[in-house]
Amino acid sequence: MTGGRLPLTVVGGYLGAGKTTLINALLADPAGERIAVLVNDFGDIDIDARLMDSDDADVMSLTNGCICCSLADGFAEALDRIRDLAGRIDRVVIEVSGVGDPRKVAQWGHVPGFTLDGVVVLVDAKTVRERSRDRYVGETVLAQLAGADLVVVTRADLLDDTVTSEVERWLADMVAAPVLRAPVPTAVLFGPDPIGDDTLAVPEDHASTSHISMSRRFDAPVSRGSIDVWADARPGGVVRAKGIVRVDDRPDERTVLQVCGATTTVAVDGPWDGGESAVVAIALPGTSRAAIVKWLKLLR
Amino acid sequence: MTQTMILPAAVVHTMDPNHPQAEAVAVRDGWILALGTVDDLQAIDGATVDSRYADKVLLPGFVEAHSHGMAGAIWQHTYCGFFGRTDPVGRTWPGCTSVDEVIDRLRAADAAIADPGEPLLAWGLDPIYFPGDRLVATHLDRVSTTRRIFVLHASAHLATVNTVLMEAEGIGPDTLTEGVPKDAEGWPIGELQEPAAMFLAGRTFRSFFGRLQADEGIRHLGDIASIAGVTTLTDLGTSAITAEATISRWAGVVDDEAFPARVSLFHNPRFAATGDMDEAAAEVAALCPRSSDKLRLGHVKLVLDGSIQGLTARLRHPSYLNNVPNGLWQIPPEQVAGHLGAFHRAGLLVHAHCNGDEAVDVFLDAVEEVLAASPRLDHRHTVQHSQLTTPGQYRRIAALGLCANVFSNHTFFWGDQHVSTTVGADRAARMNSARTALDIGVPLSIHTDAPVTPLGSLHAAWCAVNRLTAGGRVLGPGERISVYEALRAVTLGAAYQLKMDDEIGSLAPGKRADMVVLDADPFDVDPVELRDVPVAGTVLGGTHHPGG
Repeated sequence: MTGGRLPLTVVGGYLGAGKTTLINALLADPAGERIAVLVNDFGDIDIDARLMDSDDADVMSLTNGCICCSLADGFAEALDRIRDLAGRIDRVVIEVSGVGDPRKVAQWGHVPGFTLDGVVVLVDAKTVRERSRDRYVGETVLAQLAGADLVVVTRADLLDDTVTSEVERWLADMVAAPVLRAPVPTAVLFGPDPIGDDTLAVPEDHASTSHISMSRRFDAPVSRGSIDVWADARPGGVVRAKGIVRVDDRPDERTVLQVCGATTTVAVDGPWDGGESAVVAIALPGTSRAAIVKWLKLLR
Repeated sequence: MTQTMILPAAVVHTMDPNHPQAEAVAVRDGWILALGTVDDLQAIDGATVDSRYADKVLLPGFVEAHSHGMAGAIWQHTYCGFFGRTDPVGRTWPGCTSVDEVIDRLRAADAAIADPGEPLLAWGLDPIYFPGDRLVATHLDRVSTTRRIFVLHASAHLATVNTVLMEAEGIGPDTLTEGVPKDAEGWPIGELQEPAAMFLAGRTFRSFFGRLQADEGIRHLGDIASIAGVTTLTDLGTSAITAEATISRWAGVVDDEAFPARVSLFHNPRFAATGDMDEAAAEVAALCPRSSDKLRLGHVKLVLDGSIQGLTARLRHPSYLNNVPNGLWQIPPEQVAGHLGAFHRAGLLVHAHCNGDEAVDVFLDAVEEVLAASPRLDHRHTVQHSQLTTPGQYRRIAALGLCANVFSNHTFFWGDQHVSTTVGADRAARMNSARTALDIGVPLSIHTDAPVTPLGSLHAAWCAVNRLTAGGRVLGPGERISVYEALRAVTLGAAYQLKMDDEIGSLAPGKRADMVVLDADPFDVDPVELRDVPVAGTVLGGTHHPGG
């Protein structure tokens, strides 16, 4: 929760890109979070019967605290319903229809009670290039990619690695967003908890295949000017960052810094509550730690 | 009560080629018993003559095969569109042709609301007709600085609100939503674009759309129908009719004797909680037994694309003018056959919204695939809107046994914009090509898509006959059809597409006594005055509804 607002993540991608697989995985293992997923079709949600708590036409409740809510009545209805459950939910994930524009749906992440966490667009490694040239849906697929904060390549296991890598390079050339390969850790998908305690420390687990998490705490307010510089200098490997900081020109308010792939947002979400002023970054395996440290130190 | 009523008229046009005209119609128990001369009909035992329509002209009641329930409900809010419109009590509101006229209209509405906490809700604003003049919050602040104002644009994708509403709902410089344009100082100008931004209007947004769900809205639909001479109309997929509360609400109002029209409620799978179309088809089929004389259930609407004036319809090459990107799919093209197939196999009738010609291509391919796998006679699946359908596509439509319901009213309301902005003069001239469809033998209807354009079959017929734009240009004279063909399209043609042609749509013994009462003969007036023929009321199943 951020200042009482529920973080909202949008999951888009064309038919067969793996959206439902991702949603089902989140519901089966929500990593301690109570997630509300908003979907067009309950029929594809595959829940272990032992997890099923209650079920009606519009809302399905799970024993792990997650719920699944139908979008049949539209976004306004569904978000009103979720807002009524405030306090029982930690996060919202919206599954966009296969032809939907996730960037448009993301605008619902700015309505009162919610805060946009990011737009994740999934692509099927095998079909995405062909689809992007399709007479009927090429533009739709390209528009989805253009609106992504993070692109996640799925079904790579069905292809030769060199083919997948080629697809990933093709995507990286085309979109500003980082291109990741599924499965993606929850901390990357949803971003880190902004209250970190491993201040610029090298994590214990520094195997080269792990994502890197680094954070920084601030004792004094951060200057507005340094935020602008920082926002423009993100090292390529940083895929996520989140901070709740006190800023010099608005010291009585909480300023939320968020990096989701290529998109950085800076927003005020309520009065300063006297908590910790800190920022946490997550980077892809192999990213230079020195570069991340240098980047986080730009905030001053 | 079995009483035979003879209704003499100046003339009865039956739309039945075997007996095109009559002096009078005899009605018993809501059905037509006979047509003929008054003398002939008086031979019927126990018949009495009711001369109330002696100087009127009777035709089969008009049938609107593409309208929406909201056409009535929306009148709970203040109209401020560019063209004049008639409300459910028969009052015609002149069009607001400038921002100043919009403000005057809203001021009058503001003065009429006693409770200062009550919002002022308005609809129909169409700034496309006064280019260069954008309605913003500061205009609405001239109406009120204390009452919340919410003005929905004609496209329904946009609203303009006043400053007090923005302050109440926290819409300000920190608002991140993309559809909230701001001025040079960073303050929102009062426009809320697309649903997520409109939702920021909070409780005002909810009261605008919430009120449309009241019973009163359905009653208003009946009122505007009888004023327009429409005796059967549709809600084409805009109500969640598989929800018990919704279907009960419709049944409660429509089945009431006082309600002056028959309504066919189409199911839109968008409202189904399931994405499994076979399940959705079973849900619709389960609704069929709830059909009554007046309320009809069991048909399905699929929406493939958006609108041409909204630049969201899917167009074939060369798409829109000025390099505007092609439109948006509402269903993934490769799923259309699956959706259609499920309803088709369940024996249901499907009407598919296809504004653009590329959407038509996708639908025709789907129909071909579905029919190859599951042949079915007399399916009557229908291409709705069909605005840019080419002659080649119409030949496929005919071969596949499909119908077309053409959006003729577009020629008048947006014809000039289609020439200048959307597709250019050449393609605009062949938009809504009713002549081509008829010549190829496609079962034709024409429609208003009310409330997108005002409910009014005479206006739609006038458009198809004259093809005049609001700016006075004849758009594609080669696509004009005759008065008879146009009136057939809004009676029997539409009834056919609703599978009701054996009971309504023409006047013949054994059909329902559904009639429109006109003050002049539409076959006698100058065709350019067809839309001005006054409607005096309707008869529904023998019951008189004066209208207005």
